[in-house]
Amino acid sequence: MSKETEISEEQQTFALSVIVNGQSWNGQIPVQETLLEFLRNRLGLTGTKRSCESEICGACTVLVESQAVSSCNYLAYEAHGKSVLSIEGLSVGDQLDPLQEAFIRNMGFQCGFCTPGQLMMAKALLLDNPSPTREQIVEGMNGNICRCGAYPAITASILEVAGLTAKK
Amino acid sequence: MLRPFRVLEPSTAGEAAAELGRLGERAKVYAGGAELLLLLRHKLVQADYLVNIKRIGALDKITWDGGILRIGATVTHHRLEKEPLVQKYLPMFAHAESQVANLRVRNQGTLGGNLCFNDPHSDPGPALLVYEASVKLAGASEERLTTLDDFFVDMYATTLRPDEVLTEVQVPPLPAGFSGAYARVHRFQRPTVAVAAAVKIENGRLDNVRLAVGCVGPKPQRLQELEAKIRGISLKDAQRVISQSGPYFMKLLRPVDDLLGSADYKLYMTRTLLARALEEAPNGDRGAKSAKGD
Repeated sequence: MSKETEISEEQQTFALSVIVNGQSWNGQIPVQETLLEFLRNRLGLTGTKRSCESEICGACTVLVESQAVSSCNYLAYEAHGKSVLSIEGLSVGDQLDPLQEAFIRNMGFQCGFCTPGQLMMAKALLLDNPSPTREQIVEGMNGNICRCGAYPAITASILEVAGLTAKK
Repeated sequence: MLRPFRVLEPSTAGEAAAELGRLGERAKVYAGGAELLLLLRHKLVQADYLVNIKRIGALDKITWDGGILRIGATVTHHRLEKEPLVQKYLPMFAHAESQVANLRVRNQGTLGGNLCFNDPHSDPGPALLVYEASVKLAGASEERLTTLDDFFVDMYATTLRPDEVLTEVQVPPLPAGFSGAYARVHRFQRPTVAVAAAVKIENGRLDNVRLAVGCVGPKPQRLQELEAKIRGISLKDAQRVISQSGPYFMKLLRPVDDLLGSADYKLYMTRTLLARALEEAPNGDRGAKSAKGD
């Protein structure tokens, strides 16, 4: 996409080819569409939440090529040729991710609104460092706000999974 | 929803500058988008065109040329905190980068974008002032180099011309014998007050010192007058001078009340953090322990 040759009359669209939760998706999207809008409105994947829209709260966290991003502030066209993981793709069929199981065991949530973002951020942290210390978890999760205050249980859940992974 | 815009993807910095010159105010440089997309959403900035500079290959490189670390404008904060060359030659800066907002912002936001926005509540600026960094600015046909100190003009204002692109940040390591510290207090994932210090201690005295403060007023500031005053004296004496320099900070830093803290609080914390950073700096190149405030 260079210059204005591919710009349609009013809006510039982009031929996006992206893998979302293991499935490929191809189609035209406006260049100004955010990844959050793409996931929620186009694909109906509403597990990813819209909240602060300022990259502060973390409710819209998804992984692009295993890196955590705020999907509210990330243009969907930037995911072209890449792999996106949202909360809907965290479990494999009925098999929950160890993080999801740990969150349930430890009650790492109350209302659950921030939970998809918490889980995706935790997933990104563990992909980067499978056995983080408590301090590293707290530091890494500092951009994910939980207004119910489930922080201790969230930290405990991640520590538990980190321990499981470390033993393997 | 973002108001519709068009994206241009030039392949050289000169081409990008030419597009910016042609389109004027209607175009904005787009790299990570961490700040730009926020401002577009809140309609604080309008753009009909985003000039994406991420396709300009040379801009995402970090290279060591034997005397200067050259950091391409589109290198992200996360790469800077992890990059071995940065950890080796600019450890205090690597630490400051690890403090930027949160991991998502660090994955997306670029150093060039951060410096060009010159948001007063930001980590890289004060740290880089202590390293005496320079920035390379490319126009359509020529380039210029300017010190970061001169580049920062005021809140959200720099000497970058509308038809220029920041392409590279050049950072020399601290001179031999120096070590640094970076200390901050923060709220809402942005620093309320940030200070950077580099010191060279000899026979228990501050043989040489560099200090910078960010976030208190409109832009990050080197504290050259204070540095001259405390050069050659002991750490304890220097800390006493700092505690008595209220009027100096008031005049130089032009503190403002904002969402993150009152002017009084920021001035108080400036003195506290400077004293702390001076104490921590000789012990290594990491940052001083930061206070939390979320």
